[in-house]
Amino acid sequence: MSDAAIIVNNLTFNYGYLKVIDDISLETPRGISFGLLGSNGAGKTTLIRLMVGLLKPAGGSILCLGKPPSPANARNIGYMPQLPSLYTELTVEQNIDFFARIYGLRDRQARSARVNDVIKLIDLVPKRKTQVIKLSGGMKQRVSLGCAIVHQPPLLFLDEPTVGLDPELRVRFWEHFESLTRAGNTLVISSHTMDDAAHCQQLAFMREGKIIALGSPAELRAATGKPDASLEDAFLYFIRRGEVQANV
Amino acid sequence: MYNIFTIARRTIIQLARDRRTLALIIIVPLVIASLVGVSLPSKQMLNTLLPALLATLILFFGFLLSGIAFLRERAQGTRERLLASPVSRLDIVVGYLLGFLLFAMVQTLILFFYAVYVLKVDFNGVLWQIIVFQLLIGILAVCLGIFISAFAKNEFQMVQFIPLLIVPQIFVCGVIFSVDQMPDYLQWLAKFLPLTYAVDGIRALMLNGKGLMDIGKEIGVLAAYAIGLMILAGISLRRGNAT
Repeated sequence: MSDAAIIVNNLTFNYGYLKVIDDISLETPRGISFGLLGSNGAGKTTLIRLMVGLLKPAGGSILCLGKPPSPANARNIGYMPQLPSLYTELTVEQNIDFFARIYGLRDRQARSARVNDVIKLIDLVPKRKTQVIKLSGGMKQRVSLGCAIVHQPPLLFLDEPTVGLDPELRVRFWEHFESLTRAGNTLVISSHTMDDAAHCQQLAFMREGKIIALGSPAELRAATGKPDASLEDAFLYFIRRGEVQANV
Repeated sequence: MYNIFTIARRTIIQLARDRRTLALIIIVPLVIASLVGVSLPSKQMLNTLLPALLATLILFFGFLLSGIAFLRERAQGTRERLLASPVSRLDIVVGYLLGFLLFAMVQTLILFFYAVYVLKVDFNGVLWQIIVFQLLIGILAVCLGIFISAFAKNEFQMVQFIPLLIVPQIFVCGVIFSVDQMPDYLQWLAKFLPLTYAVDGIRALMLNGKGLMDIGKEIGVLAAYAIGLMILAGISLRRGNAT
């Protein structure tokens, strides 16, 4: 088995005539948090949807844990979409239990124990019997995360998981993400905030459907040539470098 | 099978938690049946219309509820989440079918007993055969709803399909007016619409003392429609095609 969690080769995807993913190749080692960083419309969500198999590439290939995206491989993958994507009439517990069932946790006792653990983890024990429609935005995000991790997937895709979270909750989410990678799981996280980017072990800066830079936060900062450069400086540096190269 | 029952179970819990919709599913058919019952001048007209109403309402509610439920799955992102999970398209369609058919059956039974025991519609058939036939119409209706929801972007657009797909069938398929008395081109059109066979079949089962074996043509046409729509519903859920 390859050591890479994800291998993407020459991936392209178009919406009509619009090229949304433009010849992307990347390889992600297992057991790290890999950040996709870019502004809105850079292609982060489309890339994640291609990697989980929701969209079919126009060209190129994707391997997740050594296999192309398919329902058979989906059990090893967790996916938290950008929207909370929950059944709003159901309670917190019913939503998490539903996703536990469809991801194959069939033994009633084991499932019940796991659902309880997840509810504790997302800190919603007092709200477990509350319908999702009655929860705040941040609480819905937490339930959505719970649904994505309930089957303990080795590879987890999180599309802007920290959007709309207060700073305290954001810290807690990141503590949990770091505990998941320490346990050997691989996380792919899209974001447009530098705060999230700083937590990732590897980063891909994205712009207009392309990866303009790839490396660890330290490597990307160092590439600017300034010792005190921030990730924001690094991001702007790669954007400007791309523009200069395009104009040459 | 486990995934099918999981999705059916969730559909049932979801609808059961929506008390207002649940009440409307039960009360609206009774209100319509009562209005029909008190407004028709003769018993014979009541006998003709109420069985047809039974078939029409299951088509209407099956289509509307499954269509809007699927639309909401898409709008709130749960469809995307399901399609990224290990469940197959068949699991999703059949799971929905089982969930909605439970409510369709409850509705059929309530309306049936109300028609026969309160409105005193003649009944000369076997109840379980009526349930089986109604289930077939229900399967067709749910698959039609799932398929059509792929063409609607919101609930407003979904509702617009009712005057396009359901209401014309009520006028053309013999629910109110006899198909024989219509112009030739409408009679020809009626032959292609599923409600014609649903209405003919349910009248034969309820009024004419016929059994399921006697209405093979109606069952065959409705089953062909149901299978065709189930395939179309499955195609509309294709993985790699999520929008």
